[in-house]
Amino acid sequence: MSFAIETVGLTHYYSKGTISQVAAIENVNLQINKGELVGIIGHTGSGKSTLISHFNGLLKPDSGKILVDGVDIWKDKETLKNSRFKVGLCFQYPEYQLFEETVYKDIAFGPKNMKLSEGEIRERVLRAAEFTGVKAEHLNKSPFDLSGGEKRRVAIAGVMSMQPEVLIFDEPAAGLDPRGRADLINLIKNYRNQTGSTVIIVSHSMEDIAEMADRVIVMNKSSVAMQGSVDEVYSRGDELREMGLNVPEITEIFAKLRAKGIDVPANVYTVEQGAEILRNLMERRSVK
Amino acid sequence: MSEKIIEFENVTYIYETEDEDAPVAGFPALTDVNLTINKGEFVAVLGHNGSGKSTLAKLCNAILEPTKGTVTVKGIVPDTEEKADEVRRIVGMVFQNPDNQIVATIVEDDVAFGPENLGIEPSEIRRRVDDALKCVNMYEFRHREPHKLSGGQKQRVAIAGVIAMQTECIVLDEPTAMLDPKGREEVMNTVRRLNKEMGITVVTVTHFMDEAVQADRVVIMDGGRVVMQGTPKEVFSNVEKLRSYGLDVPQSTELCHVLGIKEGVLDVDECVDEIVRVMGGAL
Repeated sequence: MSFAIETVGLTHYYSKGTISQVAAIENVNLQINKGELVGIIGHTGSGKSTLISHFNGLLKPDSGKILVDGVDIWKDKETLKNSRFKVGLCFQYPEYQLFEETVYKDIAFGPKNMKLSEGEIRERVLRAAEFTGVKAEHLNKSPFDLSGGEKRRVAIAGVMSMQPEVLIFDEPAAGLDPRGRADLINLIKNYRNQTGSTVIIVSHSMEDIAEMADRVIVMNKSSVAMQGSVDEVYSRGDELREMGLNVPEITEIFAKLRAKGIDVPANVYTVEQGAEILRNLMERRSVK
Repeated sequence: MSEKIIEFENVTYIYETEDEDAPVAGFPALTDVNLTINKGEFVAVLGHNGSGKSTLAKLCNAILEPTKGTVTVKGIVPDTEEKADEVRRIVGMVFQNPDNQIVATIVEDDVAFGPENLGIEPSEIRRRVDDALKCVNMYEFRHREPHKLSGGQKQRVAIAGVIAMQTECIVLDEPTAMLDPKGREEVMNTVRRLNKEMGITVVTVTHFMDEAVQADRVVIMDGGRVVMQGTPKEVFSNVEKLRSYGLDVPQSTELCHVLGIKEGVLDVDECVDEIVRVMGGAL
């Protein structure tokens, strides 16, 4: 079976051919399995946005290959065009990219480009709107009359309505308040569970990634620095800190408890998980 | 007694026009708000989206004018254009999006923009721009193009622009919302230093609880009203109440709360100490 996305020696330079030429990504070899929810983390400038812009052909590699479902997307024009429908990209602050007169038209923009029938477009728009919690009475409104949080849901619905095989979110929760953030994380998890699609989340929030991802890829200095399960990656706190990333506060608490000789595991990423462990430990100690 | 710098008295604000930030026209964004900011204070304003916190920020330097009630800045009520200008010389503002507030193509020109508009002597402007850029650790970037800077660096340039106006108070509206962890830290360290070392009054609107923990006072907004205020310790001792306002608490606070160990724990070290204490020390 082929991978949802595979990169082979993927390299991209900025300001190529000038003295200020820098590698944005260099020799990146990655495999993303079908149906996987992968988190990509890295500080600003680590190359993660450049990397995902290759996944649907927005950027062309200077060397190396990008395969979607086993096919090199730069093979010919047709394949490249299809890759844009297969791999949906939801940018950072997608609400700034709304442009149509109505919410309906904005969500319908992608399916329309796919040359689907009116009936099919309508069905997809309604389904995506319902899934993302865009209210039916908002569909005929101008997107600019909505609140920031509502606009973001419209933008996400616009990508989901294309029903891509791979859906990529770049910093989906940026700028949201805690409730909005929790809602969005649930939305993404539900989307993956219901559709079985491959989902890639780019973020610098280690908390958000820990809550969602099956596997984590860490980018640093234009290359893949680490990859593995949340446990495998988050247990390397010192290395992550050197890369300008912070482990979740709860993980730091548990590292410090261990340093003080308290017998707790290192792989704790959520407060619920941590509370459970400490409760058991306290009970055992009081029994003694 | 501490000296007041900004005072809100029974302030109500209703968006009437099609302002791009107006959530719902005709609906009060703020209702009957009373709030005093003292000179030299570091105040964090928290609240979920739509709670009225950005509206509150914009009323501080006369970008908005109250529908009812008064906002007084050092005794000045900005009810004329001249008085509004005077208020803006006392209270400077930094916004969320670093790309929307840069006006020049060279960093030092951008910082000089404010003082130039005040009609200040060129030699004095030079001195202020240099001082301001040193203050935010961006002096070595003075000849650079702002669009090539990182988000955190751009925000620090925006802050330098405010300092160069020699304002006594800075109001920041979610200054770190669009930044990565490193950028956030750079900006918050800068803001804290301005407050502690230069005595500049700081009002920061934020979603990040760890930023609020560093403030002298935390103000919680909900539904256009001030619903809670106090020291971070006092405010974060009410985990359930904060949740009901759609807010989180730092994970250290939450852990000690759910374990029933202690309320109002603010950082990792305090949390670790409390856990070790109830465990009766390490094994």
